[in-house]
This record gives sequence, structure tokens and C-alpha cells, in this order.
Amino acid sequence: MAGTSPAMTLESVDLEDDWHEFSGFFGPNLPVAMDYYLQQLAIGLSLGMVYALMAIGFTLIFGVLNVVNFAHGEVYTIGAFTGLVVISAFAPPLIVVLLLVVAVGALAGVGLERIAFKPFRRFSDEASLKSRAMREATLMSSLAVSIVVREAVEIGFGSQFQTVPLDRLLNSPISLGPITIVSGDVIIFVVAALMLGGLQYVLKRTNVGLSIRAVSSNPLGAKYVGINTDRTIIWTFAVGSMMGAAAGILVGLYYGAIFPSMGFIPGIKAFVAMVMGGLSSIPGAVICALILGFSESIATIFVPSVWADMVAYGFLIVTLIFFPRGIFGGARDRV
Amino acid sequence: MTTLLTINGATRRFGGLTAVDGVSTTVAKGELVGVIGPNGAGKTTLFNLISGFTPLSAGKVHFKGRRIDGQKPFRIARLGIGRTFQNLRIFPNMSVFDNVSVGAAGMLGVNAAGAVFGGKARSEAISRRAWAALEQVGLQGLAGELAANISYGRRKYLEIARALAMEPELIILDEPAAGLNDTETRELAAFIKRLHGDGMTVLLVEHDMGLVMGICERVVVLASGRKIADAAPEVVRKDAAVLEAYLGVEE
Repeated sequence: MAGTSPAMTLESVDLEDDWHEFSGFFGPNLPVAMDYYLQQLAIGLSLGMVYALMAIGFTLIFGVLNVVNFAHGEVYTIGAFTGLVVISAFAPPLIVVLLLVVAVGALAGVGLERIAFKPFRRFSDEASLKSRAMREATLMSSLAVSIVVREAVEIGFGSQFQTVPLDRLLNSPISLGPITIVSGDVIIFVVAALMLGGLQYVLKRTNVGLSIRAVSSNPLGAKYVGINTDRTIIWTFAVGSMMGAAAGILVGLYYGAIFPSMGFIPGIKAFVAMVMGGLSSIPGAVICALILGFSESIATIFVPSVWADMVAYGFLIVTLIFFPRGIFGGARDRV
Repeated sequence: MTTLLTINGATRRFGGLTAVDGVSTTVAKGELVGVIGPNGAGKTTLFNLISGFTPLSAGKVHFKGRRIDGQKPFRIARLGIGRTFQNLRIFPNMSVFDNVSVGAAGMLGVNAAGAVFGGKARSEAISRRAWAALEQVGLQGLAGELAANISYGRRKYLEIARALAMEPELIILDEPAAGLNDTETRELAAFIKRLHGDGMTVLLVEHDMGLVMGICERVVVLASGRKIADAAPEVVRKDAAVLEAYLGVEE
């Protein structure tokens, strides 16, 4: 980690000594330098981008199926492990690693849909579409798949942190005026921005995107104008899981922390971002993911990084109490 | 005239209730056929059987000589049957233009490579069809508007335009006049007549007797799931069984 990016918030593993160094308002070494705030903002941005990538997967799937995919965190884990395997097998350049990870992520998404969602989906009328039984069944089945995947990864690789080759860590320092960020911040930002842009293109300019939007908006209406909803749903899982898998490997290489249950916390953060954003609004989820990333990294200035996770839960509670339809309500385009 | 749609002994039971009971009829190319009947007569169920919304309990449905019952709704749609719904099923959070584009895109199918990378010819075809359909219903001026923001009456036309963008051979309108006032209903009648005049085959389920009797060439009357009449409007109007079904007969 080279000590270049101070408090890590994504995992509760690196308490280190930030606590003593920045012990909050009552600590001895205030005021904290402005540079440090800027630095935390930069970290918050990459953190937020990662949450955004994850949140999009949730949001897209919630949009077309009205169900929560509890195995989304495992797609993230699969992405990270795929990247690790690819790196240790033939050490290709990062871009190749990313492409392979994204491809495996898409496959994982399609497999997940076939195993955990398709068997419970027989809707052709309104009653079964709104059926709670269908929703609850896929809640359980996706949770089951997530447990199986996590345990399988643990059997295969062990539960401890994997050794990431040091030269593959995205931590070369980059000086940016008064602050120092690491290459990972830049790479995460660029990759996430490209993927978000790509998603926007797919949704607004392609037939697949048109069908995804149509199915999100009114699945029955879509069927009766010739949209193959089943195939559209597969596409949605593929696209959403590509993003989740990419987030997994990026974070894995950023923190050097790849382990079987790594998907859990980011999965929850992304879920919070989705709920805050209004469940099925992509712009809403992205904005809320960024807010979450910034808030967490700013919070680590004042509290130890393990406590930063509380920020997300706090947001969730506030959203559910005061903005039950999400901060952006239902007014926005669903996808 | 060639037969487009053949319904043969269509039956649908929901538990102990037989909503549609052995109904047979045909629709020829270019016809404008109305289906009427009192509440609960099985009109909408019959439509749902044709479009694959509800599976048949017994009987067969053929379209252009191909058996379509048991097929998935999107396949039936792609064979050339467009439909609208009594409770609109538009895409409220998409633009008017995008709504109609979905109709065109659905017909052209979505496949892997061509879909992601667009295909210029394909997107041009979609956009051409969408504009043509919008012009047909007179909504081209609202193309950029969010569908949720246009009036209820216009949403009805939007749904029809979406079906027309599929360039179907048969269009099924399920109670299009529901919720419209008299003026709007008259406009709708004129619109359906024009559509038919342009060569479209139309099957119309309607509550509004005046609308059906005024524009349809043939009327199928359902009562308690059974077909009780199938003839020209002036014949149906004097039919004893129809009068009984509508007006009731004292025991």
C-alpha cells in the first residue's frame, strides 16, 4: 500500500495508525491541512466510482425484474479472482486483464440469471409479475448462489488474502499539485468513466438498450410489441455483471486485498446507493454512489476508517425514513 | 379475400369459470371486425388468447396459416399481430419517439453483435418506421415529450402508433374508447375507419356499441363466453339472442 493513500474505507482491514495521526476534532494535530482534504476527495472520487459501477448492476437488474440480486457482490469477487488468476497465469498488460475480467463477469451474470432467476420467472400476466412469491424466491435463490460461490472460492483459494504481485498493484504515486494520489485512483476513474459512458451509449443508442429500457418501463407492453423479454433480461445481467466484475479487479489491485468475502461490503454500499438513488434510476444511483464515496473518505478524516462504513448505513436509514422513494424520487427515467 | 386469422373452438377456463367457451370465427385480410358483449362476456379474454397473453384450455388459433396458440407473446407479435390494451401499457418514462421505436425495434429483432454496435441501416429503418407511425396518429409534434406527460387521449394514440410501428398485418384494439369522451370517441372512430381504409385489418373489442355498429363491417357478439351472433351490424342489431343478452328477458 506504500502509505500513499491514507485511510482505506472499503475494507475494515487497514486501521493502521491513521487513528493516532488524525484523531478528529479533539485530536492534538488540528487543523488538518487543506491538502489532506483534497487528497481524501480524490480517494473519495475513486471509491465513489467503484460504488457506482457496482450500483449500476443492482439498478439495471432491479429495473427489469423488480428484484434485488443478492449475488451481485460475488460477481465482484469473481471479477477480482479472475483477474488474479489471469495475472498469475500469463501476466498480460492491465487492459487485457480487464477485458478478460469483463468477459468472465458477463458470463457469470448470464449463468447467475439462468440458475437463480430464470427458474422462478414464468410471468406472462400481471398477477405473477407482481407476485411477491416470485420476488422472494429469487431473493433466496440469489442469496444461495452467493453463498455457494463464496464458499467455492474459499475452498479453491483459501479464506486469507491472496498475494497480489507487487508490481501489479495500482499504487505508483502521482503528484498533482499539492496532493499525491496513486495510479489506481486515475485508472479507476478512467475505467469507470468509460464504462459509464459506454452504458449510456448502449442504453440510449442501441436496440439492446431500447429493449432494456422498455422492459424496465413496462414488461408486458414490451412483450406485445415483439420484444424478447427473456433475452433482454439476460443482456441486463450480462451488462450489469461486467461492471461489477470490473469494479472487483480494480479494487483488488488498488488495495491489494483479494479474498473470498471481499464482495460483501461493496455489495451493501452499492445497494445503499441504489436505494438512495430511487431503486431503478441509473443517474440517481451514480450520483448517490459518488456522494457515498466522498462522504466516506471525508469521514475517515474524523473517525477511524472502520467507522466510515457507518456513513452508508446512516444514509440508508435517513433515506428510508425521509425519502422512501429515493432522493430523486420517481421522477427520473428509470434506466 | 384471404383469411388472416382463424379461431377454432377457443376455450379458456379459469378454475370453474369458462370465460371463453368454444368460440370460432375468422378474420379476413382487410376486414374491420368488432367484438361486443356485455360485461364479463369474455371479450378481453378472447383477445388475450389470440395475442398469447393467456394460454388456451382448448381449441386452436391460426394466423396466416400458422398455428400461434401456445407461442410466446413476442413471437406472435413478430408474426404480425399488433395490439393495444384496455389499461394502457405504454412506457411512461420514455419519450414518445422511443415508445414507438420499441415497436419497430421489436419487429426487427435484437441480436448480439448487430444490436450492440447499432448497425446504421437498422437504426435508420427503426427511426423511419417510428416517424411514419407517429405521423399516422398525428403525434409527430410530441416526439420528444415524455410519454407520462402527454394527455390520456394522446397516450391511446401513442399505444396505437407503437403497434403500427411494428407494421403488423392485423391490429387488435382492446376497448380503445374506454375513458374517452364523446368527441374523442367520434375522433377515434374516424381514425379507425381511416386506418382500415388504408388497408389495415382491424379487430376491435369495444364496449361502446355505437362505435362498433357505426364502423365495423362485421360484428361478433359474445355472451357468457359463447358466440351468439356473427354478422353485419344491421343483422346483429335485430338478432333475438343479442337483444336478449343485452336487454335481458323476463323469466
